[in-house]
Amino acid sequence: MSTLFLQFLLQIIFLTIVFLHITKKNLDAIFAYGIQSLAILILLINSFFETGDISLLFIALLVCIVKVILAPGFFAQLIKKNELIFSASTYLNMPLTLVVLATLTAMAHSYRFSPITNIIPANETLLSLALSTMFLSLFLIVNRKGALSQIIGILSLENSIVAFAIFAGLEQSLGLQIGILFDISIWLIIATVFISMIYKQFGSLDVTDMKKLKE
Amino acid sequence: MIDVIISQIIFIASLLCFTVGGIGALLLRKNDAIANIWSNFFAILASLFGLSFAALAVMSGGDTSFSIGAFSLPFFSLSFHIDQLSAFFIFIISLISLFCSVYAIGYVKHFYKKYDIGVLGFFYNMFILGMLLVASSSNWLFFLVAWEIMSIASYFLVIYDRHDQNNVRAGFLYLIMTHVGTAFIILAALLLYKFTGSFDFASIQSASLLIPAPIKNIIFIFAIIGFGTKSGIIPFHIWLPDAHPAAPSHVSALMSGVMIKTGIYMMIRIFLYMIWPVPVWWGLALLVLGSVSSLLGVLYALTEHDIKRLLAYHSIENIGIILLGLGSALTFLSLGMPSLALLGFTAALFHTLNHAIFKSLLFLGAGSVISQTHTRNMEEYGGLIKYMPYTALFFLIGSMAISALPPFNGFFSEWLTFQSLFAGITLLSFYEKWIFILASGSLAFTGGLALACFVKAFGATFLARPRSSHVSHAKESSLSLRIGMASLALLCLLLGIGSGVMTVVLEGVGKNMAVFKNAASVVSLSGQHIVVGKNFASVSLPLLALFFMVTGGLVIYITKFIINKHQKVENNITWDCGTDLTERMEITATGFSRSIILIFRGILRPSIQHDIQYHDAQSRYLPKSRTVILKVHDVYRYYFYQPLHLAVNAVSSRVKNIQSGNTNAYILYIFIALIITLLSVLWK
Repeated sequence: MSTLFLQFLLQIIFLTIVFLHITKKNLDAIFAYGIQSLAILILLINSFFETGDISLLFIALLVCIVKVILAPGFFAQLIKKNELIFSASTYLNMPLTLVVLATLTAMAHSYRFSPITNIIPANETLLSLALSTMFLSLFLIVNRKGALSQIIGILSLENSIVAFAIFAGLEQSLGLQIGILFDISIWLIIATVFISMIYKQFGSLDVTDMKKLKE
Repeated sequence: MIDVIISQIIFIASLLCFTVGGIGALLLRKNDAIANIWSNFFAILASLFGLSFAALAVMSGGDTSFSIGAFSLPFFSLSFHIDQLSAFFIFIISLISLFCSVYAIGYVKHFYKKYDIGVLGFFYNMFILGMLLVASSSNWLFFLVAWEIMSIASYFLVIYDRHDQNNVRAGFLYLIMTHVGTAFIILAALLLYKFTGSFDFASIQSASLLIPAPIKNIIFIFAIIGFGTKSGIIPFHIWLPDAHPAAPSHVSALMSGVMIKTGIYMMIRIFLYMIWPVPVWWGLALLVLGSVSSLLGVLYALTEHDIKRLLAYHSIENIGIILLGLGSALTFLSLGMPSLALLGFTAALFHTLNHAIFKSLLFLGAGSVISQTHTRNMEEYGGLIKYMPYTALFFLIGSMAISALPPFNGFFSEWLTFQSLFAGITLLSFYEKWIFILASGSLAFTGGLALACFVKAFGATFLARPRSSHVSHAKESSLSLRIGMASLALLCLLLGIGSGVMTVVLEGVGKNMAVFKNAASVVSLSGQHIVVGKNFASVSLPLLALFFMVTGGLVIYITKFIINKHQKVENNITWDCGTDLTERMEITATGFSRSIILIFRGILRPSIQHDIQYHDAQSRYLPKSRTVILKVHDVYRYYFYQPLHLAVNAVSSRVKNIQSGNTNAYILYIFIALIITLLSVLWK
């Protein structure tokens, strides 16, 4: 596939994260995450075609099951069960959030980070974008008050790291990849259970409400 | 045969015996008696192995190096290096462990059905094992593991008698202080690693010239705080008077007699082995610290009426005396006088050995008394010599030894320290000379006050009449306790009489170190005389012993056979002005030390509270009872630790604000830290 298409996929990942920052509806967030995971899946399939490594195809299959189907499915059920249509608010208001997003993206593209983004000089622009997706995902976890949004933030961060690794040529061994995916699937189950329990206990997924625990 | 004994197998056998003794005691904890016998039997066996290994290693002068296991970790290795210095400290640890373990067989019985004997046996063996590993390890990381084994095991021994909340508090203070000390030790080790690129002692020594002078000074300060805390150097001593008395007495003997010396061992290892050469001021600083510790240690001991706290304060005093020897050695070495440095070093080593012996003896004696009277308060003793004559004799020998009275061992090591200081006064320039003069004065004061303190301790405990009903029910301690004490008492005498030979042996330990390689011996044996320099000073302990024996014999002979020859001796009750003699007419421990405390009131800051109750509150002519409470405040707590505590609290309460309990905030911290780390790395 051409670099232009790869860049397009990465831009989709980037835009989904920006969308995750903007959206107020949980279902939209899950949809955006599904799109993001799909982009990762295509990237992995592309790697398979480029390298011919059959294990990449196996990993792509696992990603498809865990990230594209299972994870959004779990969350969709959770939202349906607990009627969590709208996510909790953010710490920063929308204009300020957008300013921070712009700053973090600019920082990732700055020459200070060139030793990281210049691992493969041909992919420098793509790596800068992938780095900015990591920063933005981290900021999503920081800025969101809702537990569900934070979980999606963590999963999004994981996707960003995978995207960065693909463009930096840092694909890990099959065992490690499977381990990570297994880790994510277990984590998803635990997080879902926890979210249900937290919602039952506090009647909300707003983490600021959980301060009552201290009293 | 000798090769076999000094081979590593014997040393490893010693370590294994302690391990088996500890774990076995834990497994046999259901039965108190079996757990006790098991743990102490293996401790005795291990001590005998360690003793034979160390004694021959010291005599033969050979170094032993070996590693256990094949670890592929880059920095960590279970590597041992035992030169004569290590062997000497292994000898002390094994020697005192041997007699404490013999003593423990009988002593531990009074814990039966009250506490878990298996747990005591486990931590006791682990504690000694930790000390042996500290003295033999040759890698910083391995050393720190050994140091922690020693510290943690001793903490659990301190809180063993956990029904007493004071013991738990003392243990907590000890735990905090020992880990503050460990933090500084780790910092010193990391600095050494940074500039030499290795955690191995020998590699650090060979690369020591790469360490810049200011960094060396920082390492010195960190080492003094870290190891000084363990040794109980003033002002890092506050845990010691609380923790040592809290432990069972045979453990107190090991803690006070041996454990605190591991700090001294590591100071020698760092200053005279790893980072030599060192500046002159290090030696002078040690002299000042030693002077302050010895003088204030004995002054605080004088104010005590808790027998074990009194002994614990004397440990601070004696660590001060050891530092005087070590400080003078460092100063002489830095000024290019290796022969005199060897004299100071020998004095320090000799006092280390002597203090281990007589302090253990005194703690075991105190334990024997406490096991019968069930109190540590000397005001409730009195007249115990009639009920516990052997214990009294052994305690008297220990008291004479610690008071540096000839012919016991304490005299000679202090005499050597004096000679080292006098040599400094004679030969050094104005600035250094005055520090040596002050150190000599401090040592002289310390000797006198120690004697006064032990007159008080022995008098209040064993002489006059019983001051509580516990005393009149006391019985002489059991055989194993007496064997433990008698052996140490005998050693006090033998090391005193054989001090000349010991000096030569200990000089050999010094000469085995690279810094003293070319040092000519200042001490020589001329017949029974030990001569320092060319007739600078000399003493003969066998002659002194003979003199005391002849004088004593003459006094007895003259009194009995000449003065009382024609007099008939009748035993009657002492004339008491027509009243009954009671324990209320005796001078108490507090009363004895009152005048000395008042002389030093500027330092000790005593407060006296009088309370009188009258038969008739209106007329106030006939007092019913008078109470005098003499309190001495610990100035370090008031002027150093309390302000420090307040400052730490104030900072902590501000820092606490960043701990909001909000997950988002914590992730933000991580995010910021990540960005800063990335930027700082990439900036280069």
